[in-house]
Amino acid sequence: MTTFADTAAAVIDARPGGGRLDAWRAFEEVGLPSASDEVWRYTPLTELGLDRHVVPTGPSSVAPSDTARRLADGAGLVLTVVDGYLAPVGELPTGVHVSSDESGRTHTGQALAERYAHDAFSLLNVALAPATTVVRVEDGTVLGAPVVVLGLAGTGASFPRLRVEVGRGAEAVVVEYLEGGRDGLVVPLSEYAVDADGSLTLVTYQRLDQTAWQVARTTGFLERDARLHQAVIGLGGHYDRSRNDAELRGAGAANVLRTTFLGRGDQVHDFRTRQLHLAPRTTSRLLSKGALAERSRSVYTGLIEIEKGATRTDARQTNHNLLLSSAAHADSVPNLDIRENDVLCAHASSVGPLDAFQRWYLESRGVERVDAQRLMIQGFFYEMLEALPAALAAPIEADVAAAVGEVARAAVVGS
Amino acid sequence: MTSTLSIQGLRVAVGDREVLKGFDLTMSTGEVHALMGPNGSGKSTLAHALTGRPGYRVLGGSVTIDGRELLGLSATERARAGLFLALQQPLEVPGVRPLDMLVAAGADAATVAARVREEAVRVGLRPELLERFVNVDLSGGERKRAEMVQLGVLRPRFCLLDEVDSGLDVDALAAVARRLSAAAAEWECGVLAITHFRRLLVELVPTTIHVVRDGRVVATGGPELAERLERDGYDGFGAPRA
Repeated sequence: MTTFADTAAAVIDARPGGGRLDAWRAFEEVGLPSASDEVWRYTPLTELGLDRHVVPTGPSSVAPSDTARRLADGAGLVLTVVDGYLAPVGELPTGVHVSSDESGRTHTGQALAERYAHDAFSLLNVALAPATTVVRVEDGTVLGAPVVVLGLAGTGASFPRLRVEVGRGAEAVVVEYLEGGRDGLVVPLSEYAVDADGSLTLVTYQRLDQTAWQVARTTGFLERDARLHQAVIGLGGHYDRSRNDAELRGAGAANVLRTTFLGRGDQVHDFRTRQLHLAPRTTSRLLSKGALAERSRSVYTGLIEIEKGATRTDARQTNHNLLLSSAAHADSVPNLDIRENDVLCAHASSVGPLDAFQRWYLESRGVERVDAQRLMIQGFFYEMLEALPAALAAPIEADVAAAVGEVARAAVVGS
Repeated sequence: MTSTLSIQGLRVAVGDREVLKGFDLTMSTGEVHALMGPNGSGKSTLAHALTGRPGYRVLGGSVTIDGRELLGLSATERARAGLFLALQQPLEVPGVRPLDMLVAAGADAATVAARVREEAVRVGLRPELLERFVNVDLSGGERKRAEMVQLGVLRPRFCLLDEVDSGLDVDALAAVARRLSAAAAEWECGVLAITHFRRLLVELVPTTIHVVRDGRVVATGGPELAERLERDGYDGFGAPRA
């Protein structure tokens, strides 16, 4: 019988170097987490069964969906990544470089296996990703049209890895889209390095099959006065875990993170965030919103860490969960870890049904209840998509609207 | 065709307190009525109870349009039967766009954008303010004007105008009053303006005035009632019948 370990070994043998073996050994030492670990207690780990999955040694043959195609139409540059393998790239806009980096190192030269030493899934990515797809935007380059990274996953276990580097004073919009993954396991690992005065607007849109497992981790590295505006949208997956960190390393760096999800069936959406303030006058704004229908569940765990010396930091964290059925459930766990006095820090969270007065307002205009709910749930997502250029907002909104329509109908039947 | 809104013996409680204690009022489309009364007399309760706002409990009575009972109906069905409420403080509905709301409320999707622009210009509202979310980030005056845009697009048979916020500027007040007067003429919209300020009635000239005290109408008459109110105050109308 072919096991996960056998196929993983074949991948590592085929591409020696890049710290793959170190990462694999570290993974074997750390082992998969268990539900007794606090950060994994909401995860149905017993259902994961790594040996259900095989690791492909090359990209599988998959075709992009209509949504993927429409996103590509609105892009200035499309990178297609199948099972972590970057397909040949067309002509690049001026000031943009794309490469496959097999060094197994971060943008600062740190070994990935070291950086992610205690995170089992990230270690698997370091061991098994074919390469890091690197998008570099040169210093001072302002990209007019967005870069769309179309991630397609087959039925096996895949480990896409991306690094976006935005140079000094450069500006870019990047969309990371992910679909497919029927019965599969997808473990994306992404890093965003924004240099001084640079600006990155990022949308991570996860539209995997309802049977897929995703365990994703992203980290932003922000230098002086850098801006990272990140939206993370989770619609797909049977289990959808997304950890989104930001390290605010330079004074005046600003991070806006909006995570949002829509739960259906027995989906689990598990969002983890960590805003690490290392320098003075850094700001972070975190807004997490999700809607849960049927028997779906969500976990939101947010940590704001403020180091000594990060004076006049301003960090805010808000989490709102919408429960559309009595069987849905949301857990919200905000955490603050502050080692500096001269800071502003706040968090708020709420869990509840749709606002009855807002719904009445729509109904009192003549809107049917099912439509009022559909519009309000859709509204959750629209607010998150505000920063998108119109060419990309349209296909994502249309796709979200279709998913929300199904949920709104289910919510009325269930209420 | 003329329609008639008839409220008979309406009793409504908010929490444990009975606020409307047998309220009677009848009006027809094309008419402009004013409902005047002191704070706490039940005017706003009437508007909210008629449109089915959560938290307003109907204890008895009847509300019909052309004989069709509305009290058992959902808020949506009441709106579709012809009732429209312009609120004292229009609610913000974050994430929901006015155009989407209006289409879901029955406006024609093909023409709604153009209609909204027309109506916005009529009430002196910058149309781009209606490209965002319903009532979000609008001033008090802009919200009132935005609701007049809804009214113009949806063309209800009856508009209940809840007390104009005392913070509203004179220009916005005039714009709302002019739009309602025009609505009464254009599609015979029946207007029931709830107020305890006379200044609204300078622009929006009512054919009939009802004075309400302690949950009941205590006097109904022509514009002369407003003058009497101005002179004598509400005390001149005495306590309602027990």
